[in-house]
Formats: sequence, C-alpha cells, structure tokens
Amino acid sequence: MVLRESISQALFSIRSNKLRAFLTLLSIAIGIFALMGSGTLVTSLEHTVSSQILELGQNTFRIDRRPSFLVGHRAWRRYRNRPPITLQEAMKFKERMQPYARAVGFAADISGVRIKYEEQTTNNDFTLYGVDGGFFFANRLDIEEGRPITDEDLLLNRPVAVVGADVVRSLFPASSPLGQHIFIRGRRLQVVGVLKARGNVMGQSLDKVVFVPATIFLRYFSQNVPARWRSFALYVESPSAESIQETIDQAIAILRGLRNLKPWEENNFEVQTNEAIGSQFDSFMQYLQIFGLGTGIIALLAAGIGIMNIMLVAVQERTREIGLRKAVGAKVRHILTQFVLEALTLSQLGGIAGIVLGGIAAALVGSSLGFQLVLPLDWIIGSVLICTLLGMIFGSYPAWKAARLDPVEALRYE
Amino acid sequence: MNTLIHLENIVREYQMGEEVVRALRGVTLSIEPNEYVAIMGPSGSGKSTLMNIIGCLDTPTSGQYFLEGEDVSDLDDNELAEIRNKKIGFVFQTFHLLPRYTAVRNVELPLIYAGVPADERYERAVAMLAKVGLGDRLFHKPNELSGGQRQRVAIARALINNPSLLLADEPTGNLDSRTGTEILALFDELWRQGNTIILVTHEPHVAQHANRIIHILDGQIQKEESKTSSIPV
Repeated sequence: MVLRESISQALFSIRSNKLRAFLTLLSIAIGIFALMGSGTLVTSLEHTVSSQILELGQNTFRIDRRPSFLVGHRAWRRYRNRPPITLQEAMKFKERMQPYARAVGFAADISGVRIKYEEQTTNNDFTLYGVDGGFFFANRLDIEEGRPITDEDLLLNRPVAVVGADVVRSLFPASSPLGQHIFIRGRRLQVVGVLKARGNVMGQSLDKVVFVPATIFLRYFSQNVPARWRSFALYVESPSAESIQETIDQAIAILRGLRNLKPWEENNFEVQTNEAIGSQFDSFMQYLQIFGLGTGIIALLAAGIGIMNIMLVAVQERTREIGLRKAVGAKVRHILTQFVLEALTLSQLGGIAGIVLGGIAAALVGSSLGFQLVLPLDWIIGSVLICTLLGMIFGSYPAWKAARLDPVEALRYE
Repeated sequence: MNTLIHLENIVREYQMGEEVVRALRGVTLSIEPNEYVAIMGPSGSGKSTLMNIIGCLDTPTSGQYFLEGEDVSDLDDNELAEIRNKKIGFVFQTFHLLPRYTAVRNVELPLIYAGVPADERYERAVAMLAKVGLGDRLFHKPNELSGGQRQRVAIARALINNPSLLLADEPTGNLDSRTGTEILALFDELWRQGNTIILVTHEPHVAQHANRIIHILDGQIQKEESKTSSIPV
C-alpha cells in the first residue's frame, strides 16, 4: 500500500510541478542517455568489428609497416621511421614463405579513386589495390566472373583489373564488364574479373574496390609517393589454426633475414593477427567508454542534485501533510519510505526516458554507420540500478528531513 | 472504571534562544472514560501545549502521563506514533485534510498506518462517513466540500480507528456559527454514544457543551467547573 501510495504521490507531484519535474527528469535522462548511448555504440562497434575479424579468416595474419590503430602522439614517433615493405621485399618474402603457408600474398592501396567507363564516372570513394596473385587466396576472396589477378600479370605488367561488385553496379548495370576497358586516373585497364559481392561493414561497402597487378599499381598510380617508399602489407594464411603461432614465427624470421636485422634489434614491422587488431581496437574502445562514462557520471551527479532539490521543495511544501500523517500514526519509516519511493519514482522515470532516448540515438547512429545494432542488456540493467542508487542517495536526505519533522511544528507550519 | 488519562505534575519547558519558557508549570489532571471535557484559556495560556501532550504529539519535560494506565511520558517517536494511531483521534481547527484525496481516502489514512488491508479499510471508511452524515459525498475532494462537510470528514477520520479519546482543537474556529452548532451537535451525539471527548477552545459557548470545563492560565489549572450534563442542542 505504502508503495502504490508513494508512487501515485510522486506522479501527482510531477504533474503538479511539470516544468520543475521536467527539468529534473531531463537531467537524469541526459545522464542515462550518455551512459546508455556510449554503451550501445561501443557494444555495437565491438560486435561489428568482431564479426568482421571473423570474416577476415581465423588463420590469416598480416604484416604491416605500422600497427593499424595508433593511439597517442608517442606512438607515431615510435613507428614513423620504419622502412616500407617494398615490392621487391614482398616478392622475396613470398618466395621464401610459400613452403610454410597455405597462401601468401601482398597488397598496397590508395583510396579516393574514381572509375570511368565510356561516358560514366563513379564517385571518388573507391579503393584501388595493387596486389599479387596470392592476395586473393590469402584473404579468401572469391571471383564471381572471369579470373583473379595472377603473378603472371605482375611479371608481364599487364594493365588488367579485377573489379568489385559496386563497380559493376554503377558502370555495367546491364552488360558484363569482362573484356571492357575502364579508366582510372587516365590509365586504361582491361577488366578480367569480377569479385563476389561482400556487403557492408561499419557503413562502408566492401565492394567499392578495384584490384590491379602490384607492378602496374606502382608504375601508374603511385605518382605522389616514390615507388620505393610505397609500403605493401603481407598476408599469410597459416596451414591450420594450431600452427598459426609457428607460421608467425617463421614469417618474422624470414622478414628479419631479408632485412638483415641483428639479434638485438627490434622488429621494424608489425605482425597483425586478428587478436592483435582486436586488442588495439579494444584500447581505442576503452577511451570511448571512459569518455561516455565520465560524461554520464557528471550528468547524473547534476541529476542527483536536481532530485535532491525537487524533494527538498516537496518536503517543504508538504510539511503540514507530513505533520498530519505523523499525527494519525505514521512512523519514521513510513515517512522515509514514502519520500524515498517518490525520489525513486522520479529517478526511474528519468532513467526510462534516458534508456529510450539512448536506445533511439544509438539506433540512429548505428544505422547511419551501418553497424549491427546491439542493445546492451547489461547497460540497461546498469542504468536502472544507477537510477535506483541515485534516487536512494539523493532522496534519502530529504526523506530523512521529512521523517524527523516534529509533528506539532509541522501541523502549525504555514 | 479505569482512569483514561492521568497527568501528574506535568511541566513543559521550551528553550527559546537563551531563555527558558515554561509553558506548563505542573499540571495534575485525571479524565475518566466517556467524559466530555473542555479546556479553556486565552492564547499563550498553555492550553495548546497541554493538548499536544495529551495527544501524545509532545512529551513533558518532567512529570508523568498515564494513558489507560500506561506511562507514555517517556516513549520514543515511533511508540508515540503508534499510541496516536490506536488511541487518539484528532480534529483540528483547519481540518488538515489531504487536498488530493477523496473523502474516503482521507478517512482511510489512519488505517493505512495501522496496517489494515485495503478492502476492510474502504468498507470501514464508507461506514464511518455515513455515520457522520456524508454517505453521499464519499468521492468528493476537500475543495468540493463545504467547511462543515470537511470537518465531518476530519471527524470521521478521527473516529475510524475506534480511539479511546477524541481530541478537538478549536473544531468550530473556522466555521460559521450555524455550521459550528451542527458540528458541536455531532460531538454531543458522539459523546452520548460513549466516546471520550476533549475540546480545546477559547469560546465559552463552545465550552458549555462539555460537562467539565478546565480553565488554564499561565501554564496552570486555574479552576474547574463541573456540570451534570452537557447542554442538549
């Protein structure tokens, strides 16, 4: 009874002081919103990235000049002087690595590329890869039509291209692109293959791609960067999941050998497994999470003070009522319960508003970035708990003040 | 018969800054069941303090108070709340109804704190409102009721838990004289039904309804008058 009574009482005082209650609820909602929103975002991002990592293949690792996620200015200093992985190096590495791997390949890329076919031109959001024949195998890229780039193409400097599904979609809606000539940066390339459509990840199509032989890539498209500075990424697929560490060790040994590194010198390249990329990503996510948490905590603190304020005013306004309730037999715990429950009702209402807002915002952001939306149940439960705590902490002082009122004084209060 | 109220040399002092104000300076008083007592005195005489102590809203600085034989002068807040809930019904000059509640819910209030289940509460409140003549105003809120009707709701609330004592502080103070007379008639009726009533007032014609009038002045009992019966209206 006291429960129902107190909740209806709380709803009543919210209704009778709409603006005041609205502002209080708003501040709670913003706090929960910040917490929830960042929670949903982080969870969704993590989910997307882990499904993407899975997609890359469990047994494939990559050797890069530098790690993919650099956090902080120190990191850049540390890595900037590393030498590029040149084409010659990549080819030698591939030759020596081949016996120990299921597939070895390499690639370099430039983004922001336009593709032209006859009178039509695409947007400049395509990525051009200079690859070898092994790249398609190491990354398990399937060919829909035609053939992949081969090592022979590299050797013979053939101006050929394998295109992604989006190229077909925008330039060849009706006919097959095979055998046709497309132009990239004024260079003529013959389409020899089409990649199987791969879909979207993180709001980016994986099909806005064109592959050309690495040698052609360097000759035609590396204009801003001297060819000898263009760095390739090496892709290695180990024979089995169990042997991945061995394969990594082998790859490191081969590359160190190629670079004549002394035993005391550190690797001047980065081995990136799914796991390593994942952990780099995690540390990046942590920053995001801390930011959301910090914002939320500050907002919730403000909200708590708001609750305290509205409850103190309520106690003041209802002094005579409290006096009467005590006169007819309300004990300290009755009054305490009533006002704490009122504060809880307030904070829970704000919390629910915040959860809904946070969920909506996360859904909007998520869908616009193409994440798979994951509503984090633990964050929702957490938010409810936090609101409960908030109501308890900031509602208890006003409630205690109410419960301690002297009935004689309270009844006489004007 | 057991004595309902026995006050023994009650003293109540207040600390007002540096000064100690002695509101009651040794009051000794006994009230038997089914008495109809008026406490009279000018403002500042201590009659309100005496009423607060009798109503267990306040405790004496010294002296002893026995309510139905139980010493209540040293109880803590929660114990006093329970005594008020079970044994005392208050009627105030300003009614003190909860404005958002219907008449029934106002009357139910003491039963909530007595832990009576909802169905029973409702039935008893409806019956009590019928008894004070408001059977057709059950779901009106205080601002939809006249002053006299509001005071009847308050009386119903005071009686709902079958108290040993009905304590009315200037119950006609906010009412016009005709309505006041009606309310006093209701008190007379309640007294005839066996209730013990204590009226606090400064109006002699109100006090005339009681069969015993206690005059308070400067924190002490100045004189007592007894009558064989109250004035029937």
